[in-house]
Amino acid sequence: MRTYILRRLLQTIPLLLGISALTFLLLQAAPGDFLNTMAENPAISGATLEQMRRNFGLDQPWYLQYFIYLKNIFLHFDFGESFSRHQPVFSVLRTGLANTLLLATAAAAVTWGLAIPLGVIAAVRQYSLADKGLSLMAFIWLSVPEVLSGLLLLFLAAKTGWFPIGGMRDLDHDYMSAWGRFADLMRHLALPAFVVGLVPLASRMRQMRGNLLDVLRLDYVTTARAKGLPESKVIYKHALRNALNPLITLFGFTLGSLVSGSFVAEYIFSWPGLGSITLEAIQTQDQYLVMGAVLMASGVLVLGNLIADLLLAVADPRIRYD
Amino acid sequence: MRHLNVFMTRSITMSTLLALIGGCSAGSKREGAYVDHLPLPADTMLTKMIEPGVYGGRFVIGATAGPKTFNSLMGNETSTTDVTQRLFSALTDIDYVTQDDIGVLAKSWETSTDGLTTTFHLRRGAAFSDGHPITSADMMFSFDVVMDPELHPSMQDGLTIDGVPATYSAPDSFTFVVHTTKADALILAHTGSVNIMPKHKLEAAYKAGQFASAYGTDTPPESLVTSGAFRVKSYVPDQQVVLARNPYWLGVDAKGQRLPYLDELVFLVAKDQNVAALKFHAGELDGLDNVKPEDYKAFTDNQQKEGFTLHDVGPSFNTNFFWFNLNRVKEAKDGRRIGEPYVSAAQYSWFSDKRFRQAMSMAVDREGIIRGPFYGFAFKNWSTMTSGNKKWFDPELTGLDYNPSEAKRLLASMGMKDTNGDGFLEDAKGRPVQFTMITNGDNKLRTDMINLVKDDLAKVGIKMIPSPLDFNTMITKVRSDFSYEAALLGLGSAVPSDPGMGQNVWKSSGLTHYWNIKQAKPETPEEARVDQLMAQNILTQDIGVRKQTWREVMQIVNDQCWLVWLPSQQMKLPVRSRFGNIQPSPMPHRILWNADRIFRKPSK
Amino acid sequence: MTEPPAIRLDEQSLPSLSPWQLFLRQFRRSTLAVVGGWLLLVLYSMALLAPFLSPYGPEQMDRNRFFHPPTPLRWVDGDGRFHLGPFVYATRLSDPSSLQYEEDRARMLPLRFFVKGTPYRLFGMLATDRHLFGVAEGGRVYLLGGDMFGRDVWSRLLHGAQISLTVGLLGIAISFSLGMLLGGIAGYVGGWVDTVIMRGTELLLSIPGLYLIVALRAVFPADLPSQQVYLAIVAILAFIGWASLARVIRGMVLSIRRAEYVAAAEALGASRLRIIVRHILPNTMSFVIVAATVAVPGYILGEVFLSFLGVGVQEPAASWGNMLNQARSLRALTSFPWMLFAPGAAIFLTVMAFNFFGDGLRDALDPRKTPGGKG
Repeated sequence: MRTYILRRLLQTIPLLLGISALTFLLLQAAPGDFLNTMAENPAISGATLEQMRRNFGLDQPWYLQYFIYLKNIFLHFDFGESFSRHQPVFSVLRTGLANTLLLATAAAAVTWGLAIPLGVIAAVRQYSLADKGLSLMAFIWLSVPEVLSGLLLLFLAAKTGWFPIGGMRDLDHDYMSAWGRFADLMRHLALPAFVVGLVPLASRMRQMRGNLLDVLRLDYVTTARAKGLPESKVIYKHALRNALNPLITLFGFTLGSLVSGSFVAEYIFSWPGLGSITLEAIQTQDQYLVMGAVLMASGVLVLGNLIADLLLAVADPRIRYD
Repeated sequence: MRHLNVFMTRSITMSTLLALIGGCSAGSKREGAYVDHLPLPADTMLTKMIEPGVYGGRFVIGATAGPKTFNSLMGNETSTTDVTQRLFSALTDIDYVTQDDIGVLAKSWETSTDGLTTTFHLRRGAAFSDGHPITSADMMFSFDVVMDPELHPSMQDGLTIDGVPATYSAPDSFTFVVHTTKADALILAHTGSVNIMPKHKLEAAYKAGQFASAYGTDTPPESLVTSGAFRVKSYVPDQQVVLARNPYWLGVDAKGQRLPYLDELVFLVAKDQNVAALKFHAGELDGLDNVKPEDYKAFTDNQQKEGFTLHDVGPSFNTNFFWFNLNRVKEAKDGRRIGEPYVSAAQYSWFSDKRFRQAMSMAVDREGIIRGPFYGFAFKNWSTMTSGNKKWFDPELTGLDYNPSEAKRLLASMGMKDTNGDGFLEDAKGRPVQFTMITNGDNKLRTDMINLVKDDLAKVGIKMIPSPLDFNTMITKVRSDFSYEAALLGLGSAVPSDPGMGQNVWKSSGLTHYWNIKQAKPETPEEARVDQLMAQNILTQDIGVRKQTWREVMQIVNDQCWLVWLPSQQMKLPVRSRFGNIQPSPMPHRILWNADRIFRKPSK
Repeated sequence: MTEPPAIRLDEQSLPSLSPWQLFLRQFRRSTLAVVGGWLLLVLYSMALLAPFLSPYGPEQMDRNRFFHPPTPLRWVDGDGRFHLGPFVYATRLSDPSSLQYEEDRARMLPLRFFVKGTPYRLFGMLATDRHLFGVAEGGRVYLLGGDMFGRDVWSRLLHGAQISLTVGLLGIAISFSLGMLLGGIAGYVGGWVDTVIMRGTELLLSIPGLYLIVALRAVFPADLPSQQVYLAIVAILAFIGWASLARVIRGMVLSIRRAEYVAAAEALGASRLRIIVRHILPNTMSFVIVAATVAVPGYILGEVFLSFLGVGVQEPAASWGNMLNQARSLRALTSFPWMLFAPGAAIFLTVMAFNFFGDGLRDALDPRKTPGGKG
């Protein structure tokens, strides 16, 4: 098992290298560079721009820039500096990543917290009105573009005052008790987590339903029923556990895709995550910040997949890795 | 529909109520009123304001982005300078209402009769936020940084006159002298752009070649030493910055109370304008300096209910215009010969004809544009000094306004007519008169305008194809590869908003002389004349001469129609009524330029 | 992540019905799927007939009717009289500052059919200027209201459908052919070809989708004419979509290639490509059809996302994405809701129809469920 993890981790190195190369090429292929963002300022001259271009190393040919970038990573673990912030990329992205992971985790909690019980209900009452109604609702939500649902929820928050309008913390956050801070965070998390978490709900619910139905068809369930166990005990004690197993493995994948899924919600709810930093960095062509952000987001995804595989190994002893 | 309205009114009252509760508790619940225990400096700065205020309170302003750095000399974008301008002060500043120069760290100054040497006398007793005295050594240090050829902060441009950098010296601790080889009417604006940073804290970093990354946003707030009215209290990346008063600040009010009044000045990040507007309505923000014209109605309607005033600041200093690409190849490359225009020969023959550009100006229905994308909140404008600019606006200046029949006549006089009956004109040689116009697609106002312009031009028989691009691509085209035909863009406002700050735009050698940039020598007699007038304009302090030369520049520009002007937005800014000394300005730092004077009115 | 539904060939299906009949029978059992299918048919027909069904050109402005509210079709006039043909009232701007319009009850504009209007080419070929309906010159009929330039939202919605509805189909066509071909080759050929292709898919799958979209979009020059922007969008979305499919197809091919008929074809000397295309890939078809149907909404929403970033199909061309994002503001929500909800509802309906339809397909093609049996 340990060698398997080690091997998987080693495999991510060429993968991340490939990602960095692809991202770098895309950035180079995009027209213009960071300095273009200063163009609307009438006071900045060509000489200033030229000097800045030299300072940022943007006057070098692209392969040299990439080579230097890689060299710094391997020799000094230095991922470069953000042009606009004059700060190491990693320190800029750190908080953004933490915030995105927080949102992704909360969204995952929403997805699974709803998908499992609703999936069970749908399976137990297969073809009933509840079953059909639930899947209809999940589909309806899936079909509303986040751009629209986000705006509507914000408007709702403003008109009712039930939720704060975007952001992540209250102004008085620092003066609150530990419990108060937690509650404050939850209040701010609620709407974006809802928007992000409900998107994959339909398919997760469906999977839960399908799994449980599969398990209910198995012999041991029939045996349990034959022994005269009450149906509720059959379902919740015996069947549910086994139906959950395949879902656990999906958890890792979900986390990875939620990182990407929170992109729009982050912007709409002013959630200071990796997505909004990336967007700004791409728009201003803050080269190394983009590289760092894409690598980080990809790292989370790869790690999520690894966790998923490991969970699968734990959940299903038939699978062996050597 | 009706049902929705009822629901809305009720809930607005509800949210106002919540806002009031929230507002009352803010600022007052943690500490008593501030008591200034420190002795005032020998030379205080008496600060002009509407009325003296009282200590206390928190002012929360919405920001579209967080600051990128706290290093005042390295930051450029407004989201950064909005903050750093509160943290650091310079020798002089301008009064944003009158645009007059006022002394800050300099108590007084005099300029030699030849206009080449300016001597500043510093205030005694001025100190950084750690109590360390501010002396001419700090000026020397800050100017060293600004003039550093490697770092090359943007302020260096203003202090480099005709390619010669200004020199400076400090004869004693409280005197600082700046010397230039040519007189410059704007020398105070340029020296005043250099914010003074603490030598005792930053010299080591500068010597180690790490000045650019010093005072980054990762610096612990308590170790940031500032020279302005505020210091940093706390910072949460991409969310909020809280500033608190610099207890050593030298500004005082008429009663001799030390400024600033506010306990806290908070920048709260809301990237999305919808979020910012909602936050304001919910009472989470006290001021908002970036409101879309379409939202003015909601703000106007709710002033009473939500306890704020929508200040009408007048026409924005930001301008909008389009122009035609008259650039020609300057060095042979990619199979192009020197002197060959970048646009097609046919297009160049139309674009370079003054009649064509004039006809385009007369084809644009500016009132239609004002009614549409601006929702009625805009003004016609014919100059970079818009009618909101009290010091420089020239009511005599006008341009060629909407007159489609005259436009058609001019086009006909060029031999253009619709020969094939498709509704669009062909030129004398039978080539269809059409061109594309680029603009940056992320700016909704501009894409809306370009669509209306397209419609207008079609009415006089010109086929224009709008082409919205992302900002970077657009600027690359406009500045470096010139592969465009016409472009719609705008210019922001400098501080001060003075014609002399626009050298890059009007001089034929300028980088922002968009229609034909960086000319080795003026290519047309009119541009030569403008160059000459701009040089005269900047050489003298005589306001009469400066206004006269400026008028002549704009008359030439508007006759030539190098830039075809579009309307400028009317700016309205909402600020809670419970704050005093609110005097928003159309220049950058609109609400906050006098943040040291803003105070919370005591509740009755 | 798309997880492939397990394909298990069930020998016990009723022998009296052909697979197609079996499929239809199963499919019809799901009301939602049938409704979804019909809805899609209607939507695509409307997109095809867009210029005919819309009374105005998509870019036809009206300077005097900015933000015009919908004009309700009426049959009963102010005096309570019933009219056989529907009509609308003429309107005038009653309050320019808040853009309020009021109906002029004295001026009735009867709806006319097969009227002359902006010339266009139906199906890109038939030149005509007849529109299904319209009103007399001087008035305007806005079924779904007007936008900030007085353009007709209904007309723009129909023309936008031509873009938004085909982005998905075209994108799927490209990404699925690419995914099937590469997946097929990787699975069948194996060896280093397999390694290279699989490492490539791994790379693409490791970059979170929207991050990749944003980075890719930055590469395409945005000054392309709108047809090319459209193609660029399709290309980007297709580029992102092929990788996961290729992996699944590869897995399926690995198991199918051991089948006897493949060995037979090999023995007959068929070329590798022929074997992949003619013998192996058809066996993955039922999975592919379901996966494609379910993937289409992703493309439609992808176009909305690109418009959200301001780099989608550009004004003045209409797409549902740019219409929705033009109206993504508080003012539109409170004062001109039709601008926001018309494209919002169109996207909603389409995505939902695809999901219902795809869901029904999956159920019908999944042999685990036998007709008549309870699960």
